[in-house]
Amino acid sequence: MPYNIAMVSDFFFPQSGGIESHIYQLSSKLIDRGHKVIIITHAYKGRTGVRYLTNGLKIYHVPFFVIYRETTFPTVFSFFPIFRNIVIREQIDIVHGHASLSSFCGEAILHARTMGLRTVFTDHSLFGFADAASILTNKLLKFTLSDVDHAICVSHTCKENTVLRASLDPLMVSVIPNAVVAENFCPLSYTPRTHDQIPISPADPRPSPTPIGPDDTITIVVISRLFYNKGTDLLIAAIPRILASNPNTRFIIAGSGPKAIDLEQMLERNVLQDKVEMLGSVRHEEVRDVMVRGHIYLHPSLTEAFGTVIVEAASCGLYVVCTRVGGIPEVLPQHMTTFAKPEEDDLVVATSKAITALRSNKVRTDRFHDQVKMMYSWRDVAERTERVYQGIIGDISPSEFYGHYPEQGWDLSGDRVRSFALIDRLKRYYGCGVWAGKLFCLCVVIDFLIFVFLEMWFPRANIDIARSWPKKQPMDKPRTHTIRNNRT
Amino acid sequence: MKRKKEKTPQRKSKDAHYFKPCVNASILSSMTPPPSSHPPIPPPIPVDTHPNRSPNSTSSRTPEDRVPDPDRLAPEDAYFAPSLSRARSAPTNYDDTLRSLNGDANLHPPRGVLGADPHRKDVRKLGAGRRRRKGAWKKLLWVKQSYPDNYTDTETFLDHLQRNPRVRPYDFWPLVSDSTVIVQHVCSVVIFVCCFVDIVQDRVSPVSVVCWGSVGTAVGWILWDNWIWKEQTDLSNINGAFGGDDGSSSSSVTSTANPSTNDTQANGTKDSPIHGLGLTMAANSSKENLPHQSPDRNGHIGGAVDPTARAGLSSAPSSAVAGEIDAQDIDRSPLFSSRNRQRLSTVKSAFLIYFALLGLSPILKSLTKSTASDSIWAMSCWLLIMNIFSFDYGSGEGAGATKFPASLSTNAAVMASTVLASRLPSTTHVFSLMLFSMEVFGLFPIFRRQLRQKSWTGHVCLTLALVIIAGGAVGMTMSGGWASAIIGSFLGGILTALAMGGCSWWLISLQKYKNVVIGPWDPARPIIRRHWN
Repeated sequence: MPYNIAMVSDFFFPQSGGIESHIYQLSSKLIDRGHKVIIITHAYKGRTGVRYLTNGLKIYHVPFFVIYRETTFPTVFSFFPIFRNIVIREQIDIVHGHASLSSFCGEAILHARTMGLRTVFTDHSLFGFADAASILTNKLLKFTLSDVDHAICVSHTCKENTVLRASLDPLMVSVIPNAVVAENFCPLSYTPRTHDQIPISPADPRPSPTPIGPDDTITIVVISRLFYNKGTDLLIAAIPRILASNPNTRFIIAGSGPKAIDLEQMLERNVLQDKVEMLGSVRHEEVRDVMVRGHIYLHPSLTEAFGTVIVEAASCGLYVVCTRVGGIPEVLPQHMTTFAKPEEDDLVVATSKAITALRSNKVRTDRFHDQVKMMYSWRDVAERTERVYQGIIGDISPSEFYGHYPEQGWDLSGDRVRSFALIDRLKRYYGCGVWAGKLFCLCVVIDFLIFVFLEMWFPRANIDIARSWPKKQPMDKPRTHTIRNNRT
Repeated sequence: MKRKKEKTPQRKSKDAHYFKPCVNASILSSMTPPPSSHPPIPPPIPVDTHPNRSPNSTSSRTPEDRVPDPDRLAPEDAYFAPSLSRARSAPTNYDDTLRSLNGDANLHPPRGVLGADPHRKDVRKLGAGRRRRKGAWKKLLWVKQSYPDNYTDTETFLDHLQRNPRVRPYDFWPLVSDSTVIVQHVCSVVIFVCCFVDIVQDRVSPVSVVCWGSVGTAVGWILWDNWIWKEQTDLSNINGAFGGDDGSSSSSVTSTANPSTNDTQANGTKDSPIHGLGLTMAANSSKENLPHQSPDRNGHIGGAVDPTARAGLSSAPSSAVAGEIDAQDIDRSPLFSSRNRQRLSTVKSAFLIYFALLGLSPILKSLTKSTASDSIWAMSCWLLIMNIFSFDYGSGEGAGATKFPASLSTNAAVMASTVLASRLPSTTHVFSLMLFSMEVFGLFPIFRRQLRQKSWTGHVCLTLALVIIAGGAVGMTMSGGWASAIIGSFLGGILTALAMGGCSWWLISLQKYKNVVIGPWDPARPIIRRHWN
C-alpha cells in the first residue's frame, strides 16, 4: 500500500552533504516503489518555493530565518500554519524527519503528531553526554522523540546512542544503514560482470588486473574535511612517519578546513611537498576521480556514526585503513579494512601493514566493488524503510513489527503504538524531566490550541489538493492508483 | 524508578552481569528521573527467555563459539596483545564460574574493555556461525541478517557502555583537612573586613592594627627565611653526597638552567654571569628593579615576588638549584654574604614599599572619594568575593594550575582595600589599611602555603588561631566588649567545624548522583606522541 510521505529536514540540496544525499536517494527509491514523497526544507539562497527534482520529487523550500550553518531558528510554533497547509495539500500520511540538529525536523514531528499523523525520525549523528551543547541537544532530541512513532539510526552504535539520549524503547529504533550508489563509485579498470559471466568456482577466474610490484608507488588517499573531530591531528602526526618508514608511498589529501594550515606547516617543515598532494576541497561528484588514483584509503576520524566515505572508497576498490571509532567497525568486512586505535603509533603500524598486504598482492581489491554493491544499495534501504512505515501505519501487526519473539513472554502492547489522544501525549512528554516535562507539556498544549485555531480559521475545505505527479503504473504493483482513488 | 537513587557509582566491568538485565529500565530512566505519572517503561527484556540465550541453545553453543580460540593468533595480536589477552581470558573464567553458580548462562560475562576489538570477535563468530548456526545476530551492517531492523540483541546491546569510569571516591577526613585551606583564607578576609569596620567606627586605632600586622609579618618572614635556608642546606648536603664538586660541570649546568629559571623575570638576566653566584645576584637586581616600574601597585607585587621568586628557585629543576648550591659549596664565605645580601634586599624593598605607600596614601584617599558609599560597599563586597573565589588554593606544586591567575585574586583584594580606603578619615588611616591589606592578601598566603608544606601541625594550629581570631573579631565588631568576642570565637569555631564537616559530607553524598556515561559514540581522544609545532 503506497503512502504519502513528507521528508522534513533543514538540510537539503543545494547544500551538499551526507544527510542531503541520504534524503534524496531514499526519496527517489521510495518513489520508485510507488510511494509519493515530498521534501520540506527551508529556503536557500536563490531557492524559494516549490521545485521538482527527477522522478517527480517535489521540494518545498519554506522561507525561514536561518541562524547557524543552515539550521533554522527554533521557533516552536511558527512553522505550524504553513506546515499544516502543505500536509493537507499533499495528503501526507507519514512525516519523516532527518537529523537531530535540524529544528525544522523537530517542529514538524511535533505538529504532525498534533495533526494525527505518524512520524519517523532518522538520526545521522552521534552525541556525547558530557558537554553543555550535548546536554541541550539531548534535551531537545528528547522533546522531539518523546512522541515519535519510530526512529531509524544508521548504525548499531548510533542506535545505542539514540536510545540513551532520548530514553527510547530499543524496539522502537530500527537500524537501517546508509548506502552508496555503487555505479558512481567504480574502480578505473572495472568491467561490469553480466549475468552470463557467473563464475563457475567461487574463486574468481579473472586474475588480479594490475599486480603491485615491490617498487611500485602506493598512493594513499585521504578525503575528509580537515577538522579536529575528523582526526586531522592524527593524520598530521602520522604522515611523516608513514612516508619515512615506507618508501615509494605518496599521499593525496582532499578537503579543506581549519586544520589545513597545520597540515601545510607539517609538509613544509618536513619538506614533503613532492610526496603529499593537497587538492583542497573537492565536490562530491569528483570524489570518485580522486579515489581511483590511490590504492589505500586512510580514514583517521575520531567519531563517526556510519562513515559513508569508507564504503565509497571500498567501492572504488581501495583498501581501507580506519580508526575503530563509533559505528565504523560495523560497516565493512574484515578483508577490506585494517583497523587502528585512534593513536598515532597504531595508525602508522596499521597503514604499514596495509601497504605490506597490498604489496604482497594478498588483497583482492578488484573484487571489492562487486562485494560492496551486494552489501549496500539504496533500494534495500528503501525496502527496509518501507517496512518501518508499514509497521507504524499498522499494515504490519504490532506483534509482528515489535515483538518478533512471541515466546519472550512480555507484554507486546506496551506504549509502542502511540495513540494520538492528547492526554496520552501529555503523559509521554511529562516524563521528560522535572522542569522540562512541564515545559514540554505546555508546548504541546499550545500547539494543540493553535491547531484548533487553524482548523477554525483556515478550514481544510479551503485548501486545494495538489495533483500527484503522473506516473507510470509500477509493474509489480498494478493496484496503486485504484487504491489512491478510493482513498481520496 | 527509585532504583537509580540507590545505585552507587561503580564500574561497569565489575558488575556487568547484574547491570545488564535491568538495562532498559534503569539506564533509560536514570537519564532523567521520571515522575510517577510517566508512561510505564516497557519491562526489561528477560534475558533468559531470549531465543539465543534459552537453555537448550546455550547448551548447544560451544565455548569457543563465544570466545575466540586462544591458540589461534591473528596478525593483530602483535599490537593488540594486552587488551586482547584480557578480553579473552576474562570471559572464560567468568563464564565457568557463572555457569557453575547459576546453572544457566543467562547472566552474561563482561565482554572485555572498550578498546578490546569487538569486530574481530564478531567476525570469528560469523565464521563459526556460518558453519554451525545460521541464526546468530551480528552487530554488523554489511551482512544481510534474518532479523528485523529493530531487533535488539540483549547480549550485545550497550555492552560497551561504561559508567563513571574515572570517578575517584572522596573520603571524609581528607576532604575536611583539604578544606582548611579555604577556611584559612576566608578567615583572613573576615579579619580584614572586621579591622576595617573597627577602624571606621573608631574602636581600634589603625596604627595598632598595622603594628600588630607588621609584627606578625616580621615573625612570619623570619620563620620563612629559616625554612628556605634549611631547605638550601639540605639540598647542598644531598648535592655534596652526590660528590658534585666538579666546578666546571656545575657552572655549565647553571648556565644552561639560567635562562629557563629567569625567563619570567625578563630583565637583565640574559647576560647574567656564568657562575652560580651570578644567578642570585641577577635575581636580586631584577627584584630591585620591579618596584621602580610602577610603585603604586607593583610595589606590593615586588614584595610578593621576592619570596615567590625564591620559592620558585628552590623548587625549580633541581639541576639549577644544585648548580647554584654547588657553586656556593665551593666558597663558603660569599655564601653567607649572599644570604645576608638577600635579606638586605628584602628589607630594602620592604622599606621601598613602605615609603611609596606613604607617599601614595593621600592620592589613594581621594581616588574614589566622589563615589557614593553604597557603591563602595557593593563594589568592595564583590571584589572580596571575587578574591575568595579566584584564590589559588592549590599547593603550588606540580601541575596544579588553576584556571584563574593568582594575580586576579590579589588584585581584586588590593582594589577592594583601595576602594574602602576612601571612606577613611585621615591619611594615616589610609596608609595603615593599605599596608595591612598588602600583608594580609599579598604576603600571608605565601607564608600559609609554605607552612602547610613544612608542618601539618603548624598548619592546623594556624587554622585554629585564624578561626578563633576571626570569630572574635566578628563578635567584637557586632557588639563590642571582650565577652562578645569570646562568644563570637566560640560560635565561629563551632560554625566553621559544622560547615567543614557538613560541606564535606554533602560533597560525598552528592557523589552518588554522578552518572557519567561513556561509550563508543564519544569522540575518541587521539594519542599523539609528538607535536610537530
